[in-house]
Amino acid sequence: MAETTISVTGSEAGIQKKPRSLFWRRRSRFQHNNLVGYLFISPWLMGFLLFALLPIVSSLVLSFTNYDVLRHHILKADWDYIGFDNFHRMFYDDFRYWKSVKATLRYVSYAVPLRLIFALAVAMLLNTKRRGVYLYRAAYYAPSVVGGSVAVAVMWRQIFGQEDGLINAILGVDIAWFGDPRYAMWTLISLAVWQFGSPMLIFLAGLRQIPPEYYEAAAIDGANAFQRFRKITLPLLTPIIFFNLVMQTIHGFQQFTQAFIVTGGRPLDRTLLYPLYVYNRAFVSFQMGYASAMSWVLLIVIAFCTAIVFATSRYWVYYQSDER
Amino acid sequence: MKSGKALIILVLLVALLAPATAAYGKQEKVELHITWWGSQTRHDKTIAAIELFETQNPNIDVIYEFSGWGDYWTLMTTKASGDNLPDVMQHDYAFMYEWYSRDLLMPLDEFIADGTINLADVPPALLESGQIDGKQYGISLGTNSQAMMLDLDAFEKAGVELPSPQWTWTEFEETCLKLHEALDIWCFGGTLEDEALWKSLYLGYGEWVFAEDNKSLGYDSDEHIVEFLNMILRLMDKGALPTEAEWAEYEDQGPENNPIVTGKAAMAYHWSNQVVAVANAAGEGRHFKLWHLPRPEGGQPENYVKPSMFFAIPASAKHPKEAAMLIDFFTNSLEANEILAAERGVPISTVVWEHLYESADPVQQEIFDFLARVTEDSSPVPPPDPAGWAEIRDNLYEPLFIDPVLYGEISPEEGAAAFREEANLVLSRNE
Amino acid sequence: MGVNSVRRSIAQVELSKGQKAVLKTLVYHTFVALIGLGMIYPILWMLSASLKENADIWSNVDSLIPREIHLENYANGWKGFGDQSFATFYKNSFIYAGFGTLFQVTASAIVAYGFARVQFTGKRFWFALMLTSMMLPTQITQIPQYILFNELGWVNTFYPLLIPRLGGAPFFIFMIVQFIRGIPTELDEAAMIDGCTKGGIFFRIILPQLKPAVITAAIFSFYWTWDDFMTPLIYLNKPELYTVSVALRAFADPSSATDWGAIFAMSILSLLPVFIIIIFFQRYLVEGIATSGLKG
Repeated sequence: MAETTISVTGSEAGIQKKPRSLFWRRRSRFQHNNLVGYLFISPWLMGFLLFALLPIVSSLVLSFTNYDVLRHHILKADWDYIGFDNFHRMFYDDFRYWKSVKATLRYVSYAVPLRLIFALAVAMLLNTKRRGVYLYRAAYYAPSVVGGSVAVAVMWRQIFGQEDGLINAILGVDIAWFGDPRYAMWTLISLAVWQFGSPMLIFLAGLRQIPPEYYEAAAIDGANAFQRFRKITLPLLTPIIFFNLVMQTIHGFQQFTQAFIVTGGRPLDRTLLYPLYVYNRAFVSFQMGYASAMSWVLLIVIAFCTAIVFATSRYWVYYQSDER
Repeated sequence: MKSGKALIILVLLVALLAPATAAYGKQEKVELHITWWGSQTRHDKTIAAIELFETQNPNIDVIYEFSGWGDYWTLMTTKASGDNLPDVMQHDYAFMYEWYSRDLLMPLDEFIADGTINLADVPPALLESGQIDGKQYGISLGTNSQAMMLDLDAFEKAGVELPSPQWTWTEFEETCLKLHEALDIWCFGGTLEDEALWKSLYLGYGEWVFAEDNKSLGYDSDEHIVEFLNMILRLMDKGALPTEAEWAEYEDQGPENNPIVTGKAAMAYHWSNQVVAVANAAGEGRHFKLWHLPRPEGGQPENYVKPSMFFAIPASAKHPKEAAMLIDFFTNSLEANEILAAERGVPISTVVWEHLYESADPVQQEIFDFLARVTEDSSPVPPPDPAGWAEIRDNLYEPLFIDPVLYGEISPEEGAAAFREEANLVLSRNE
Repeated sequence: MGVNSVRRSIAQVELSKGQKAVLKTLVYHTFVALIGLGMIYPILWMLSASLKENADIWSNVDSLIPREIHLENYANGWKGFGDQSFATFYKNSFIYAGFGTLFQVTASAIVAYGFARVQFTGKRFWFALMLTSMMLPTQITQIPQYILFNELGWVNTFYPLLIPRLGGAPFFIFMIVQFIRGIPTELDEAAMIDGCTKGGIFFRIILPQLKPAVITAAIFSFYWTWDDFMTPLIYLNKPELYTVSVALRAFADPSSATDWGAIFAMSILSLLPVFIIIIFFQRYLVEGIATSGLKG
């Protein structure tokens, strides 16, 4: 009898029981898993339902209204539904809208890849046990720490100054970085790339997670550094590359603070990044409904890009935990 | 596990701490809330003045909040959305009308009438700017006017005579070129593209940029602004003015960065209450004079006396009477104004004004004198900017009109026409 | 003869191997240090500006060496505003960043485990929703969220700053999920066979292997929280509750005189805690992970 059999492993015991018990066991494990799963994600779930859901839904609703922060009180609902008017105006009547779209696309297509490449390269460089390497890591991460403060803005403007700026001195040119519409975006891109510390640290953590035994085994088998990189490092790093790619893209589209304090969208709106324009519409023109509509369009675009990356991930991301 | 327990303990700790913090500020006295924007200097001075007020009024507890200019309106807008506005708030000419038109401000007339706010020593002209539709919504915290700052040493070195205070834009152009040729620097640090100059230009022609009903632009012909822009372009071409591209890195960098400080320009344009910062940045041994704005040929003065900023009382204020007392204190108290040292502009009360003049330093005295000169020779104060102005200024005036013109992308006529069309559209939505 | 010459060549080869190592180290350090200097140049610029006299900052722009050292910039900046010195602001920042990080990272790790290792219905839906919630610019949810917290009576307290952090953050959740998925499941399975619960597996097996990820998350969380000014700005309405980030932004005003030396001085000081945290936690990253249990 199965019940009196002393089982060696739990799973074996389960298999030996009668089919009907198996069904209930499976079902209760299913329910058990559900419970456990929801228990584990409950912190996020609670936080989301309590604090995030309402604001997100209201912003969606507001994009179909003419909600004007000062004039109409959100709770007294004395604003009007205007259907798709906001969206129509955005796409057809707003000359600054498309400028900001162009600026943002340009920014993302340069800043994101450059940041990731630098981050990975430097992470590999700093993935050693040499003495003092932790100082280097701090130095390479330092720019990110400086972040988006007033001081950074002033300093960045000094460095890219036309007459006394460091950049012009090094490159030997006389470019008006902030005034010339052709080059202004590079001040923001370079700022983003300079602050590659965050993805770098994440890559570093990923590199550190690769068991050294794999490298040792490969070295014993005669693999050289490049082969080790290709066959061990890169595949095992793909989950992290994937993560960084997704996150940097999302953040790239949402870049606000740097643009706000360094260029303010100038000149000629060439650096008017989308979130900056959203802020402008929301807090300067008080057109919160319109700004909400703009935000949801951005969300859709980001979601689309992210979905593409996710869809392709099947083909190039390798998870150790999936291997049986 | 240990970490799990630790977590629970911590959460409990926070839950216990929070009520303590939340219980902040629950007292029996009258709690007056005030907000303002500024820099560290202004914060320190204002706080000191407020503490003086509290010692003189022991039953009032003033709770203040402040920020830099960049964040102030985001902060106040957020507060407005939650009905959390203070009792006294610092306000700006550009936004007054927007807030007024949304019924967010309280008229102050009853406090003036019953003497809580004593305006006996204030010339009526300095109060006009805070009046909308015949009621007083803001009390000016300091008088201001647009100034041309002249570097006397540069003029001397170039051998150029000082122009008359009633100089015209034609004379400005001539002076500019002379200075540039003699010294090979920019005659003027800036591009003259400030929207205040556009407004002043039309004042010089006896017009106002907005129609009386605020539903459209107030002038019919773009000729004047086109001519003005052409003058700027001419000067840029000759190198007497920086080009837009060159000027971009100086923009928004604060008065200390103006080329007049480093000697790269002989003239500058500032509001009079910014002059102190510039002069201080320039250091010792510099000689500046404040001059009227140039005016059109045979035209009116372009200057007007403007309030630098106001104190206003939001309609939702819980303690309007005490709020009015605080405003009166800032306006009339001699000791308070000694502390505040005219940092927000020249005080509007003549009594206070005279009192401060004696102990003011030379730069301050020059500002005081300049304002006295301007008061004699100025246009009447124009009405406050209408609703929709923020939209026009940020989304139309520069991006659609001035920037493309000064970058040479479109002609001044095209720019003016496009601007007119769009601005009228925005204004037509006003009630 | 042949043996001796072979011996000699071996000796020569070994010598140059040692030399090679030294050379490699030299090259490495020079290269990395040089670029590193380039990376921190702007910060050095800020440091030098914090020691310069105000006028000197603008007139002597490209020089890293101040004409005179003005340490009073630090004193002036430290004074803060009115009665609140930066000591208060630092205290508030530490409360916010310290607790905020603790809550956020702990919660994120827990949630991440759920997403990564537990099969439950709706998992994909919630995960996708979580990611999507990151895609909305914060400027838009700011006002509705403020109204929400206002109705709850939480304005002017630390509640809106800390309580939401108990839910973790999508960024860290996603990141830790990726790390967990990089951990092979053999140990999990072995533990399950031994009768360990999911929770037990989390604490005893996964968590120890997550050290690099958790440390990285902690560094980020601390720094981002330290730098956050918008949330404290709108929810903490008394100067005695201001954080360093808020105070820094209240320093400068284009319409009146700004003490730039003080701003730079305080900005540099504001960097210190974050730097210390990074250097301190770096040590754990250097040690790497213990890979026990994978053998056999």
